[in-house]
Amino acid sequence: MVREKKEKRIGIFICHCGKNVAGGVDIKALIESSRGLEGVVFVEDNKFSCSEEGQIAIQDAVKNNDLDRIVVAACDPGLHLLTFQRCGQKLGIDPAFVDLIDIRKWTMFGSPNKVDEKQALDNSERIIEQAVKRMRLKRIIPKVTVKVNPSVVVIGGGVAGLEASLDLADKGYRVHLVERLPTIGGKMALLYKVFPTNDCAPCILAPKTAYANIHPNINLLTHSEVTNVEGHIGNFGIVVNQNPRYVDEKKCTGCGLCIEKCPARVADNEYSRGLSDRKAIYIPYDQAIPRKAVIDNQNCLYFQKGSCRLCEKACPASAIDFKQEPKTIELKVGAIIVATGFDEYNPVRKTEYGYGRYGNVITQFQLARLLDIDGPTRGRLLRPTDKKEPRSIAMIQCVGSRDENANGYCSSVCCMYALKHAQIIKEMVSPDAQVYISYIDMRTTGKGFEEYYKRTREMAVNFIHGRPGEVIENNETKNLILKVEDSDIGELLRLEVDLVVLSCATIPAKGTKQLAELLRINLDENGFFREIHPKLRPVETNRRGVYICGSAQGPKDIPDSIVQAKAAASCADSELRKGEIQLPESIVKKEKAN
Amino acid sequence: MAEVYVEEFMSPGCVGCPIVKEMLKSLSEELGGEITVEEVDITVDTTRAAQYGVMSVPAIAINGELKFMGVPKKEELKKALMEESKKDE
Repeated sequence: MVREKKEKRIGIFICHCGKNVAGGVDIKALIESSRGLEGVVFVEDNKFSCSEEGQIAIQDAVKNNDLDRIVVAACDPGLHLLTFQRCGQKLGIDPAFVDLIDIRKWTMFGSPNKVDEKQALDNSERIIEQAVKRMRLKRIIPKVTVKVNPSVVVIGGGVAGLEASLDLADKGYRVHLVERLPTIGGKMALLYKVFPTNDCAPCILAPKTAYANIHPNINLLTHSEVTNVEGHIGNFGIVVNQNPRYVDEKKCTGCGLCIEKCPARVADNEYSRGLSDRKAIYIPYDQAIPRKAVIDNQNCLYFQKGSCRLCEKACPASAIDFKQEPKTIELKVGAIIVATGFDEYNPVRKTEYGYGRYGNVITQFQLARLLDIDGPTRGRLLRPTDKKEPRSIAMIQCVGSRDENANGYCSSVCCMYALKHAQIIKEMVSPDAQVYISYIDMRTTGKGFEEYYKRTREMAVNFIHGRPGEVIENNETKNLILKVEDSDIGELLRLEVDLVVLSCATIPAKGTKQLAELLRINLDENGFFREIHPKLRPVETNRRGVYICGSAQGPKDIPDSIVQAKAAASCADSELRKGEIQLPESIVKKEKAN
Repeated sequence: MAEVYVEEFMSPGCVGCPIVKEMLKSLSEELGGEITVEEVDITVDTTRAAQYGVMSVPAIAINGELKFMGVPKKEELKKALMEESKKDE
């Protein structure tokens, strides 16, 4: 039925949400005040507007009162706006003319914005009035249909980015996997073993990296960074800057002869976490994908002093190319997945633990490298100052986590990796060594994690319920002295240990803020990428077509990263498989103008 | 002058937003009291921003239609508000 009318006929539906709204505001008063608003011809309250019964009541009211616009006063539009828009669409009401406004935030027990009943009524009246006015004057948001490009860019080649890439590539999409470092694999490649199975990390990662390397639908762009993003879902234009390797990837066989000849040694801060050196030309690690050499031009004698070129002479494949320039690659994709992961908190800032001042204070990531049979010490646990095997090791939990002076949040994986390292030391490396774990709370909530914790306790690892105030070095022996109160036994303990290991917080990866600005997506209060809804839409962002997964969204372990990566891939697939989508005209116009 | 409803999309820390806010305030006074301005913080109301396709702030929607992204010239904004107020839907 085509209706010619000038007057808008607005219906207001006030939801009780059980007692969540009705318990905190006078619904009757709200109905009364809403009735008097210009354009409002119908006001009703429902116990649960979102329920089937509530939706039928809205549809009946629309039919019986000839309503053409709907305002529902209930909960967060991020939750239920679509529910009510679909409800209106059944009766031919354009989604633009259905609005959901959140009055529950002022009334619900536990809400951070809860106010008293009078204030809740004032606030609710004000935003209902505002919404009615907006609806009365509003016109349809013009939409256009655009074709969707069946390809995706995944930013970050760690385990989450790999999983998302492989999922989408297997579904038939073209995937461009962009990794900042010269190799894919991310932090997982540095872990040696993973909890709770104690599997070898590179062994379970390698099938994914190897498959990504040969997958016909994956375009691997290592040593590359995204520098510009334009467009909208279905048609993003991405600019990637690929840094030169100074080695022709097609010719390099990964034989390593160039590395043997290179005279320049520098600290390997990436793979060995500063515990050993590498050459200026290097392959990051044995299982690196792609296994191609790369020249670090900041430390290469030829680039710095203009002479050397020994690698060039040594290379049997003539792969060295000092003339390589940065490459700019332009990509057209339909969706973007961000999986840029995390960094380890730098404990230098926690001066009380002496990291950086005392040689035998290291981080858990460094310990992982020391324990790794392919690491800098080939799996021998040797403390940095005298290369002797430590007989006693103290781990300090929550360094930079759950700490108002650093990061207030829990990094969620530190308890488990401390337990893992304690198990490895007791089982494989040094069974007689004394291992102490000094903790505030042990948080082992994943599948099989509590059993893992119990098993660690049974291995005669010493658990101290308390956090040391300070670590002091013995000048002569370079041993470390900790004073800590164990609240379980109510005693102040003084420990002298050979090695202190700090379980440092998980923080957003370097460059997260810049990438957020480039992608125009939001960050949360801790600097991780913000999801659109923490429970129901954990991998979507404020920008349609941009999804987040893994530790870039918040600290998490490998299983959770995999789950999120699959979720992000599934979200991208849901949009891309449509072939074409409807978008607000303003978005498309703006991009065309650009 | 007919009524106009303006949604000003902004975010905390946005440099151009206070300029737009000031511009809207002075134009409301100049053009008469029929202009309602609502500030929409896109970090809080992400759903509304997404509906309109707001991708950067400041942005201005007039009577439900996104008209400007970025800081407009005052004359352009005035013209858009005047045109809108004359439309008789």
